[in-house]
Amino acid sequence: MAKIEDLKEEAKKLLREGKVKYIIGYGAGTNGWPAAPLFVKTPEEVDRLVWDPTCVHNLVRFLVDEKRRKSRQKQPDKRPVGIVVKGCDSRAVVVLLQEKFIDRGDVFILGVSCEKAGVVDDSKLARKLGGKKAKKVAVNAENRFVVTTEDGEVEASAEELLAERCLECKANFPVVYDLLSGAKTKRPLDKPFGSLDKMEALSSEERWAFWKAQLDKCIRCYACRSACPMCYCDECVVDSINLAVTADTTADEKAQRIRWVQRSTESSENMVYHLVRAMHLAGRCIDCGECERVCPLDIPLRFLNKKLEKEAKELFGYEAGFDADLPALVSCFRDEDPQDFIR
Amino acid sequence: MAEDYEPRIVAFLCKWCSSAGSDLAGVSRMEYPPNVVPIQVMCSGSVSPLYIFSAFNKGADGVLVSGCHPGDCHYIKGNYYARRRLNLVKNLLEFVGLEPQRFRMSWVSAAEGTKYTQVIKDFVKDLKPLGPQTKLRRIS
Amino acid sequence: MEKTLPKKHFSQWLKSLTSRRVYVPRKDEDGRWNYAEADGGEAALEVLQTTLPPKKILFPQREVFLEFTQSREGQQETLELKDVLPEVRPTVIVGVRPCEARAAWLLDEVFSGEFKDVYYWKRRDETALVGLACTTPPSEHCFCTSVEGSPHSVEGLDLLLTDLGDRYYVQVLTPKGEKLVAAAKTLFEEPKPEVVKQAKAVQADSNKKIKRQLKDARPIAEKLKGMFDSTLWDEESMSCLRCGICTYLCPSCHCFDINDEVESPAPLRGQRVRTWDTCQFPDFTMHSSGHNPRPDKASRLRQRLLHKFQYFVQVYDRFMCVGCGRCIALCPVGIDIIKVLDKVKENGA
Repeated sequence: MAKIEDLKEEAKKLLREGKVKYIIGYGAGTNGWPAAPLFVKTPEEVDRLVWDPTCVHNLVRFLVDEKRRKSRQKQPDKRPVGIVVKGCDSRAVVVLLQEKFIDRGDVFILGVSCEKAGVVDDSKLARKLGGKKAKKVAVNAENRFVVTTEDGEVEASAEELLAERCLECKANFPVVYDLLSGAKTKRPLDKPFGSLDKMEALSSEERWAFWKAQLDKCIRCYACRSACPMCYCDECVVDSINLAVTADTTADEKAQRIRWVQRSTESSENMVYHLVRAMHLAGRCIDCGECERVCPLDIPLRFLNKKLEKEAKELFGYEAGFDADLPALVSCFRDEDPQDFIR
Repeated sequence: MAEDYEPRIVAFLCKWCSSAGSDLAGVSRMEYPPNVVPIQVMCSGSVSPLYIFSAFNKGADGVLVSGCHPGDCHYIKGNYYARRRLNLVKNLLEFVGLEPQRFRMSWVSAAEGTKYTQVIKDFVKDLKPLGPQTKLRRIS
Repeated sequence: MEKTLPKKHFSQWLKSLTSRRVYVPRKDEDGRWNYAEADGGEAALEVLQTTLPPKKILFPQREVFLEFTQSREGQQETLELKDVLPEVRPTVIVGVRPCEARAAWLLDEVFSGEFKDVYYWKRRDETALVGLACTTPPSEHCFCTSVEGSPHSVEGLDLLLTDLGDRYYVQVLTPKGEKLVAAAKTLFEEPKPEVVKQAKAVQADSNKKIKRQLKDARPIAEKLKGMFDSTLWDEESMSCLRCGICTYLCPSCHCFDINDEVESPAPLRGQRVRTWDTCQFPDFTMHSSGHNPRPDKASRLRQRLLHKFQYFVQVYDRFMCVGCGRCIALCPVGIDIIKVLDKVKENGA
């Protein structure tokens, strides 16, 4: 894992010179997880920044918040915001740039490289530690994880603790940055999209049984949507509130207003919500894994997005988050796009 | 299942080609199964994945999207977008376990009344053994 | 009334309750615990924290209020409204944490008063809560003792079991609790004085094991009155994702949304449904004019904390927070309610 001394120096300089409003990075956590998002506003606070395998969060979500905050201010501060990004997170920045949601001048990107390692998965870590709490996680010279608990140190191989998405990592270091801390190394990859093999080998009925059981758990807390940097719509399709109700609105109008998905947590509604979200993220999801990490009911949401990511690559040669000049997946086409499924 | 089960198909037909093709089939008195609820859209490219999910949610047993042949789209490029987007929808629906035969796409031009009737006949024939669609349907 | 129940009789006692619907904590393949129907199966009582609190049984995610159907006969149009009250079987939830039962006691206050919520009370009246005292804290973030609760509090419970190794010390607290004991009274024994002494000692000891403390909760509640416009809320809410997990998993949060779900517009047919909602969603307070009095995360964090620690205290003289620590453990960005309230205490000092 990169040492971020150079990043901290740059951060201090940026804040001293007033070049950025504040810097979004990782700091020590208080709720039992070693890292948490940290908003650094002064050069003195910069030393609180940390970088280690527990920095799982995708901070790009806060760029969406920043844009919203600016839109509410009468005279917004137009300086950029500094942001610490991992390889995967930087792809989210690229997608936001591609969609012109933010300008390149709105962010100062402080990239960090995972340098052949990655971030840890919280459930894998909990299982490995058997109830003990992790105080610190580091990577040693042999690329093994070293976890410090209150009882001493525990060592583990990368595969035991790495987040599933890190095993399929496409960008070990940021693809866009103003400063890069750490080396541009590559992790040897598992088979791309290997995690889907097992699922795709199942029959239709088996797959349905799996997804029904998982999505029936959903309590529609919409945490998956809230944590995703790409779900930035002001009004989401499932929250159709855009009907101004006045004294003259008739009962018929209220009854017939378009409701694609009902609020109820019924099997079919949960299914449609997640399918719609997956479709809206086709060609945009960069597999930061936040949706699955935040889900309180442990629904394996990444599989839905991963499937469309695979289709985008294999059918259309499209990969999200590498080139900000590309059009969106669904607003371009090739003459040779497959059509053998069309009668 | 019941001998008298008739699958209900929702068909999104583009106005300039497929819908005209279905009109030709009607005007020419061609016979084909009456299981289709046709919805005319301006272009197959305007069919949002939401329409398809919603059709299944409301109880459709099968959904068809039909548009102009590549190169013949009234809006030049709409059907190319549809070809890409609906390919993704089809694969996603199959991935979650919906029977693959329930969603299909076709190219039907305004002159292809016969082709339209064949597409519908095939669809009904393939849907009958599957029975009613219960997976995405809202049962309350 | 007090009894003891030897552990070897516990399964038998559960079986004697099969005329009722019995919920127990169950582990799923991912290792998460949740209350699920026992279905006649075994239930080991352990001190643990489930992901979803028992409020999902008393106050379900989805509740149908009424059904409406429109029928037309010639020119005549009639709209039929049918009340739908939940059909509830007598229910027992076994292994409830005292804090969760305390939350039920708080919800009882909210859903009573001038307008009694018949849907909540139909379920509540038929449900008995059997608690297990927390001899050790189930979560590292427990702080029930700081909000006037305790690992062995009795509010909201019908029975409280305290684990004494080979047996449970049983406190029978309500007539519902008495009925549960009477269902298999031969399995219960009269407590010996030394057993009672042991139980009291275990309970007193459990208070000391709670690691996290929120000091001076009542003075903080007073101080919050003057902090509506503080900049503290903006600082503390910067990393909030407004994901809503804190409120959905909170045992005492009870905000809801009511929607008419129309199955068919003509003839009109549908249901009026209540679902969970959260003050953390941006459009929770959206007016139909488009104005939103809580448009930013700062105002929503403030709302959550003030509701739990000031408004509720003002109206009911109790904290709405029961100190279970779920919001702390499950917040994806580590926002810690105790730390925020500590900052409230230090603010301006």
